[in-house]
Formats: sequence, structure tokens, C-alpha cells
Amino acid sequence: MNLDPSFIWTAGLSLLQALPETLWITFVSVAAGLVIGTVVALCRMYRIPVLSQLSAAYVAFVRGTPMLMHLLLIYFGLPVVIDGLSAAMGWSFTSASIPLIGFVWIAFSITAGAYMSEVVRAGIQAVDKGQVEAAQSIGMTTIQTLRRIILPQALSVSLPNLSNSVIGMLHGSTLAYTISVVEINAQAQIVAADNWKYFEAYIAAAILFWVLTILIERISGWLEYRLNAYQRGGTL
Amino acid sequence: MSRRFDIQYVFDFIPKLLAYLNITLLIVGSSIVLGLLIGLIVALPRLYNIPVLKRLSQLYVSFFRGTPILIQLFLVYYGLPEVLGWIHIDVSRLAVLYFVIATYALNSGAFISEMIRASVAAVDRGQIEAAHSIGMSGYQTFTRVIAPQALGISIPLFGNLVIGNLKDTSLAFTLGVMEMTGRSQTLGTATQHFIETYIALSLIYFVISFGLEKGFQWLERYMNRFDGHRSEKAVRAIWRRPLRAVPLLGKGGKNG
Repeated sequence: MNLDPSFIWTAGLSLLQALPETLWITFVSVAAGLVIGTVVALCRMYRIPVLSQLSAAYVAFVRGTPMLMHLLLIYFGLPVVIDGLSAAMGWSFTSASIPLIGFVWIAFSITAGAYMSEVVRAGIQAVDKGQVEAAQSIGMTTIQTLRRIILPQALSVSLPNLSNSVIGMLHGSTLAYTISVVEINAQAQIVAADNWKYFEAYIAAAILFWVLTILIERISGWLEYRLNAYQRGGTL
Repeated sequence: MSRRFDIQYVFDFIPKLLAYLNITLLIVGSSIVLGLLIGLIVALPRLYNIPVLKRLSQLYVSFFRGTPILIQLFLVYYGLPEVLGWIHIDVSRLAVLYFVIATYALNSGAFISEMIRASVAAVDRGQIEAAHSIGMSGYQTFTRVIAPQALGISIPLFGNLVIGNLKDTSLAFTLGVMEMTGRSQTLGTATQHFIETYIALSLIYFVISFGLEKGFQWLERYMNRFDGHRSEKAVRAIWRRPLRAVPLLGKGGKNG
């Protein structure tokens, strides 16, 4: 068996069909993860009684188990819960009406949420406490302080962590093939099996992911430069 | 899915899965050891700024950090025999486990080389100058001044890496390796109690990574025990002592 360089190109073109699926999985999990992560991080930082313990347990569990487990637990567990509930409550909604990609979105949002909460927490804690006190001394409410003082600064501090998480979720999206969602990895397997050229197909997939990753890094680098504009030029 | 959830199965499955823990640990252990070796070799050209090799190591690190490990797994599994075939080495009969270990070693190597670079860079530059000024050679400076401090700095990074590697081993089943995840798949198929197997498996992973985390925290404190502002325990010990040392250390830890 010899390497067929022209097939790398052919496979690459076919992989592009599955690119939207991969990007959707990444985008949804990162966006939902950011929302979950922010709520979880705030619960823990403001030490809200029961919620903060629950949040801590959630973060510890998700970070201590592989991403694949989250996907499989949701894929096999959620239908049991939903079908049990709808049988008990007499709903017409059953797990069969959830598309496969829905399970991926839910599972990976849960994964991203735990990692994002750490990103948000680190970002918020990096903001000088004196600034919070200053904001409150001029009469800002907690929400105002968060929105106008803490979050903008926390965002620029946590951008490198955030882009790492986005890349992590992009790479994690390859796991979706285990429940038959056709993203780039699954498409690579299909193309490879059809033509019996596995090595070439995976080279194409690797290059595609590599390019996407470098793109995310570049964008985040540019954003970081922009967001830190007001800090440039001064001495620290 | 068809049968009712039964918590009893979770307890039944845990010992059955634990029987395959040694394979999981073998993959983690050997890939980390090999990864340390690769990481050191890859980090050196960049630390010492060696022209062509520096670019090559950058390319290697960028590739392995820029592609999903699952893709790397397939790439090595299908590609390595072919590439080695060009130089007439036949590995096509080798057990799958070796390909898995090779992939994880190459992957860890990339992350470890970055870890080494970051930790060495984190050591204060003045210390190197101080070491040179008292007549230490480059080698002496590295082994006596930089390495011991860099080691302490790298422990949390290294801990994350090992835990990440442990979790990544759950993907080895995609190539048919019978480690814990692979076993859980067969258990699930045989009994049709998938949720219970995955709960059992998650619990095992959770306990191990929790244990590893605690272990590395302890190691970090131990390694940094001479470094006042980095070790919480040391700070607390100094605070308890009434005399001298107190005014030197601020509450926040960093330069007072």
C-alpha cells in the first residue's frame, strides 16, 4: 500500500461537508458552557448556600471524568429520565424526538460548563479587589459592578484560557462520532472506508483541525491585543 | 436501555472494570515516561535556540497540540506501519496497544516540551546571572539552580497533564484495546445495562483523578517547601512563628 497524495485533497474536500456539524457542536457547547460556567462560578464565588456545594460537586465530577463519559451518560441516561417522566406525567414528548445532535449539544455543554466556570472564576479573581471596592464606594450595585467593572476586565484576562477551552471543545467534538453524529472525524472514517485509504483520510482530517486550531489561536491573539488596548503604553 | 435502571449493577460492574485498570495505568504510565523523554528532547532546541531543529520542534508541538487526540490515534494506527514500511520496518503485526502508547507518548511529548519551556522560563533570570557570576558553568547552572526550581514550578502543570492523559485513555477503545472503557462497552452490550456501566466507569475515573490531584498537590507543596511565597503551608508555618520572618511576607503572598 502506498501513500496517495492526491487522495488527501479529495478526502479534504469531502470532509468540508462535515465542517458545519463540527463547528455547530463547538459553538453550541462553548456558548452554553459560558452561560453555565458563569452561573456556576458566581454561585461559588458568592458562596450561595446549597448552590455553591452543588456547583463544586458538578465541577469536580465533570473535570474528574473523561468527556466521552459525559456523552455516553447523557446518551444512555437522558432517554431513561425523559421517558420515565413523560410516562409518569402523561406528556407526549419522548426521547425519540430528540435528534442525535441534541444529545451531543447537551453533553458537551455540560462538559464545557465545568471548564468554563474555572475560566470565569480565574478571570474574575484576577481583577483587583480594590476596583470592586472603588465601584461600590461610588454607589454602584453588585450587578453594575459586575457588568461594568469586573466582567470587561475579566474577559480580557481570561481570553487565553477561553481560547484554550474553545480549542479543547473543537477537539472534543470528534467524540460525537461514537453516537453516530457525522462530524469531521466520522466523515473521515466514511471516506476512508469507502476508498480503503485510511491514512490519507486522517491526514486530511488532521490538517483541517490543525488549520481550525491555528485560526482560533490567531483570532484570540488579535482579540487579546484589541481588548488590552487601554493597558498598552503605560508602565505596570 | 430497554431494561430498568438497577443500582445493583453499578456495584457489580466496579470490580469487573477494575480488573482492567492495569491496562489503563500501563498506557498512562508508559506514555508519560516516553513523553517526558520526547518532551525533553523537543524542548532543548528551543531552549538553546538551535536553528533548524527549533523550527522542527515548533512544527511538532503545533501539530500535536493543534489536532484532536482521536485523529492522532487513527493517524498513528493507520500511518505508522506505512511510514515505517518505507524504511522496511514491519510493524503491522504489532499489538494495537503499542500504537496507542506511541500516540499518547507523542501527544504528551508535545505538551511536556511546552511545560518544560514554560517552567524554565519562569525561573528568575537574575538567578542565572547570579550563578554565572559565581563561576558556575552552563551545565552546573542548569542542574543546580534552574532545574530544581523549574521542577517545583512544573508540578501543577504536570499533574494536569497526567490527569488529562488518564482521561484520554478512554479513547483507546476506539482501536479495540481492552482497557476500562473497552471493557465497559462489552459489559454494556452483554447485559444491556449501559447507564450502570458508564456510572461505574465514571466513578472509577473520578476517584483516580481525584487521588492524583491530591497527590500532586502534596508533591507541589513538598517541592516548593523552601520557597516561602509559593508554598501556602510554609507561609502558614511562618505566620505561626512570632519573630523575624513575619514582616517579610505579606498576606497575599506576592511581594506583600
